[in-house]
Amino acid sequence: MSSKKRPPAPLPGKSVSVQPGAYPVFTSTAAMALLRALRDPAVAAEATQVIADSADEFRAEVLNYIDRVDAAARAEDFESIYDHAHEIRGLAGNAGLAATARIANGLCRYLDALARAARRPEGHVIALHLEAIARAAHAEDEATRLGDAVASELAQLVDKKLAEINGLESA
Amino acid sequence: MAAFEQLRALVVEDNAHMRKLLRELIAALGIKESYEAANGKEAFAILREHQPDLVLTDLTMQPMDGIEFTRQVRLSPASPNPYVPIIMVTGHTERHRVEAARDAGTTEFLAKPVTVNNLFLRIAEIVERPRPYVRCATYFGPDRRRHNDEKYNGPWRRETDAQNDLEFR
Repeated sequence: MSSKKRPPAPLPGKSVSVQPGAYPVFTSTAAMALLRALRDPAVAAEATQVIADSADEFRAEVLNYIDRVDAAARAEDFESIYDHAHEIRGLAGNAGLAATARIANGLCRYLDALARAARRPEGHVIALHLEAIARAAHAEDEATRLGDAVASELAQLVDKKLAEINGLESA
Repeated sequence: MAAFEQLRALVVEDNAHMRKLLRELIAALGIKESYEAANGKEAFAILREHQPDLVLTDLTMQPMDGIEFTRQVRLSPASPNPYVPIIMVTGHTERHRVEAARDAGTTEFLAKPVTVNNLFLRIAEIVERPRPYVRCATYFGPDRRRHNDEKYNGPWRRETDAQNDLEFR
């Protein structure tokens, strides 16, 4: 291992900067070639096709996680509900399920805030989100105004609940 | 062979579908040599063996998540390259989680869903505008100051901040 690769030792009460060029980075020829590829429309088109081709398998994976999150909800296992909802929000966008991703993100925000405040989540808030997630993900055309409207309404509900928590915290 | 085809990438992601997608996107870009791991622990072993030039990692994984993995890469004496660029690919939007990843030494963030534009922009940022690395008692990693805050009126602590320090006084 090259000593050039080791970071400098910390100095008491000081910080030390290591400038680009003083640490290992891409060689200039590799960097130039990489930048050319990043700007090449043919490369972007190929990469876009890769994402489009994977949408169906992502959609199937989202449906798998919906089954898991429903089971976690029945068991009132809030940590698992968060974990599965987090997977759904991460995968749904690449499945072409934008509204599903937004709704799952709202549920994650809610559960994360409640966990940090050491408070028990309200069952109906979780149930509303899970029903909306399931309906949106199974819809023929998820990218509808209705899906967006439901996502927005639920986001407002989460904002209201989080404001209540913050009010209780600061009271 | 294009010069960058000698580059190596490592994709760390517990979801097999996302892992495959990221590797295919990297390959479409021309980086044909890539490795994969399902968690930070596996990833660190692969990092030591293959010494990738670029890492894309998820945040939430077991038994070692992307934050701890990044911390290991930056600070462990066993890390082969503490300067390797790390892109955190995450669906997390909660501020405290993003800040924890930044404070572990993440180079760039890529929010899910993964899009070509966003991925390519993050890689271009790393290539075109490599940031200084900062070492202090509590942190080693890319400079977390991405812009000059004209309203900042606190103390300037870095050795390279001498000029700012004079202005502050």
